[in-house]
Amino acid sequence: MANKSDDVKEIKVDYTRLRVPFGPVHPALKEPISLKVTVRKEEILDVDIGLGHVHRGIEALAENRNLVQTLYLVERICGICSHSHTTCFTQALEEIGRIRPSERALYLRTLIFELERMHSHLFLLGIVAYEIGFDTLFMFAWYVRESVLDLFEEMTGNRVHHSMNTIGGVRWDLTPNLVEKVNDSLKKIEKSLKYIHEVFQDKTVEKRLCEVGVLSCNEAKELCVVGPTARGSGVNMDVRRDHPYAAYSELKENFSVVLRQSADAYARIEVRILELFESINLIRTILEELPNGPISKEESILKLMRKIPEGETISMVEAPRGELLYFVKTNGKEGLWRLKVRTPTIPNVLSLKPMLIGCEIADIPVAAASIDPCMACANRITVVDQDKRETRVTDLENLRRRGRKQWMP
Amino acid sequence: MDAIVMLLITLPVVFFLSLLFEGVDRKVHARMQKRIGPPIIQPFYDFVKLFNKERIVPVTASSRIFTAIPIIAAAASILGAAISVASLILETGIGGDLILILYLLAMSSVMVMIGGSSSGNPYGAVGFSRKMTMLIAYEVPMLISIVSISFSCLSLAYYDIVATQIGMKSLLAFTRPSMAVAAATFLLCIPAAADAVPFDISEAKTEIIHGSLVEYGGPYLALVKLAKAASNFALTFLAMSLFFYFPALLEGYASVGLGALCLCLVTALILLLLTITVPRTIFARLKIGQAFKFYWLIPMGLSVLSVALFIVGL
Amino acid sequence: MKLATRSRIKSPWLFHLNTGSCAGCDIEIVAALTPRYDVERLGCILVGSPRHADVLLVTGPVTRQMLPRFIRVYEQVPEPKVVAAIGTCATSGSPFIGSQMIEGPMDKIVAVDVYVVGCPPRPEAIVRGVVTAVKKKFG
Repeated sequence: MANKSDDVKEIKVDYTRLRVPFGPVHPALKEPISLKVTVRKEEILDVDIGLGHVHRGIEALAENRNLVQTLYLVERICGICSHSHTTCFTQALEEIGRIRPSERALYLRTLIFELERMHSHLFLLGIVAYEIGFDTLFMFAWYVRESVLDLFEEMTGNRVHHSMNTIGGVRWDLTPNLVEKVNDSLKKIEKSLKYIHEVFQDKTVEKRLCEVGVLSCNEAKELCVVGPTARGSGVNMDVRRDHPYAAYSELKENFSVVLRQSADAYARIEVRILELFESINLIRTILEELPNGPISKEESILKLMRKIPEGETISMVEAPRGELLYFVKTNGKEGLWRLKVRTPTIPNVLSLKPMLIGCEIADIPVAAASIDPCMACANRITVVDQDKRETRVTDLENLRRRGRKQWMP
Repeated sequence: MDAIVMLLITLPVVFFLSLLFEGVDRKVHARMQKRIGPPIIQPFYDFVKLFNKERIVPVTASSRIFTAIPIIAAAASILGAAISVASLILETGIGGDLILILYLLAMSSVMVMIGGSSSGNPYGAVGFSRKMTMLIAYEVPMLISIVSISFSCLSLAYYDIVATQIGMKSLLAFTRPSMAVAAATFLLCIPAAADAVPFDISEAKTEIIHGSLVEYGGPYLALVKLAKAASNFALTFLAMSLFFYFPALLEGYASVGLGALCLCLVTALILLLLTITVPRTIFARLKIGQAFKFYWLIPMGLSVLSVALFIVGL
Repeated sequence: MKLATRSRIKSPWLFHLNTGSCAGCDIEIVAALTPRYDVERLGCILVGSPRHADVLLVTGPVTRQMLPRFIRVYEQVPEPKVVAAIGTCATSGSPFIGSQMIEGPMDKIVAVDVYVVGCPPRPEAIVRGVVTAVKKKFG
């Protein structure tokens, strides 16, 4: 029989360390993520990231629904980048079913895509200002964002979750009246954006954002971060230029990829502000070069859905937060064998640990906001049992228990 | 004897005025952000509503300290404000009551700090350490500036400094350069004493969930907020009467009684808007290290400069 | 009207709790604070700690991981309180019905005072829901 005193270890208590829980319920976080931060006075020593609070089992649900129902389910993975999710999914289905949408439909898809990028970046600028205590800039950025949401409402009928995509095209068309309205709004937004850019160069704001949350280029490449988080650290990647989709293959000369080398929170935010200006130019070009034609196929979406055979494909788009990847495997009978979603926040959130070590508590909300986390996108686990050919949905506690049973009998 | 009676009469007056000042601050802050904002009497609704809520004391708190602190803090700041208002109305004072007023105001901040740490929440502990650092940062320049004006008026009694301004028929801040520098120091220390952005580090909502106030709710929260409002009112009233006593410029009827008191209140309100509302609207929050460096560089330097200028004779 | 009742109607403080939503309803709640809709003119403030709140705004179908936290936050809000379910997910759980990760819509767990439906509901609808609930419960 083992001696009990051998198992009892000497536990040294370090009274200078304090474990501060950050989330999942916290006023700085609009979505639940738990960060357990170990601090000494104000300096951060260690960060423990826990995801899974928004896990709703979407991939498991998708396997029991038909393709049109999945389209609406996939839209609600995230409210801020919902059009990116539907675009990626319909692109995958169109590739499997060899359905090619008309040119006008592709241009309209791209237009809503860029407008969504604008609304998402303005959202983030407001949230960063709110985190550093600068309420006035938060109010102003969201006031500007309301103009973009008004445009969404005029074009598609809803401010969030616009359901613009359908298999083979889009659902709503642009009248010449609307084209004028969009151009007018863009002029006002551009003026306000120049002002926001100036305010972000104010002294108190710079003191909070510069040298905070530094993620070097090598670390960024090792962790495979994507999107503006990577571009702020000097990694040159953008799906719109590398693997063009929708109408981007024809619009290649009309936008440039914004890069910064200083790799701190200020660089990432500046990348987003400049991407806003690029988006405005892209939208103006799209409106000028909008081709004529039908916006969707003549057959109804249900007939098109029945035509989609069995097959698998990967589809990628550049969501506002980075590269979004879908693996879709259809079963030829209006349903799916498998849907796998890899959202940009999954690699980005892991970069919080190297960013925060050595910083202060006051930098936690700033760093967390500068990578623009969308927790709703980042929570899914499905276990596939290859021998029994069945899938189960499980959570972290079950996985841990299984692992312990297997490795420590 | 009638001093004590006057003091008791000014207590509810101070209560009413401090909540009114807070209402004006919130309204102007909202208007500067292109919003409509709450009505000016909103803090009264907040106070009554909070008093009628359930009393919850968390299990991890030391309940006697936790429940006693809001009452002590509110009593200290209201008393500090009431002493200065009553002393101005009665036109009298006792030696050293300026130090008493500043002590009461500092005590109310320290009480709130201790209350936060007695709640047992780690955010309360972080708020405690941040507020301690801020106290060291702003209390020293403030006290040195008071020292320099009491050198110039040769007295530590609050009313004697006001009487000096009446006697010289000018505002103390504009009599000599050393007094102007002392006024600037005092005004610079007010945002930190009032926990207004950019120095609201110990009560940051998005970083440490209101710091010391995180576990306070119901009637305790009402008293703590009253303590803060009364302390802001007292600070701006002090700033007004020590440096910018406008009725000193007027003659005859206009410089006594109700009219003079109204003029004082309007000046105090303008000072509140300049030192608390405007920085709150146009700046972002600083980190504790940056705020500490700022206070030990600029206001400290200015306060030492004012004493040096006075000694030289300016 | 008694002073206590009137002050409760004139100063409802909001606390926003996300139990696993897609963030669509959350951004509409935060948009209600911005200059276009401005709930602060009605006396509402978005507070950071549940102990300061009167109205609990809950979004999202309650996921399994958020269930214990949801119950804990609900108990931390002092009486008298108003619970508002914002969005279709909080009202009925749809479109995630059938998933094993959802502990059911909110009303299986706590008593709800007002349901604001929509995917997401407009900020004006959220403001109207909160005002109706406050008047009904406290008035």
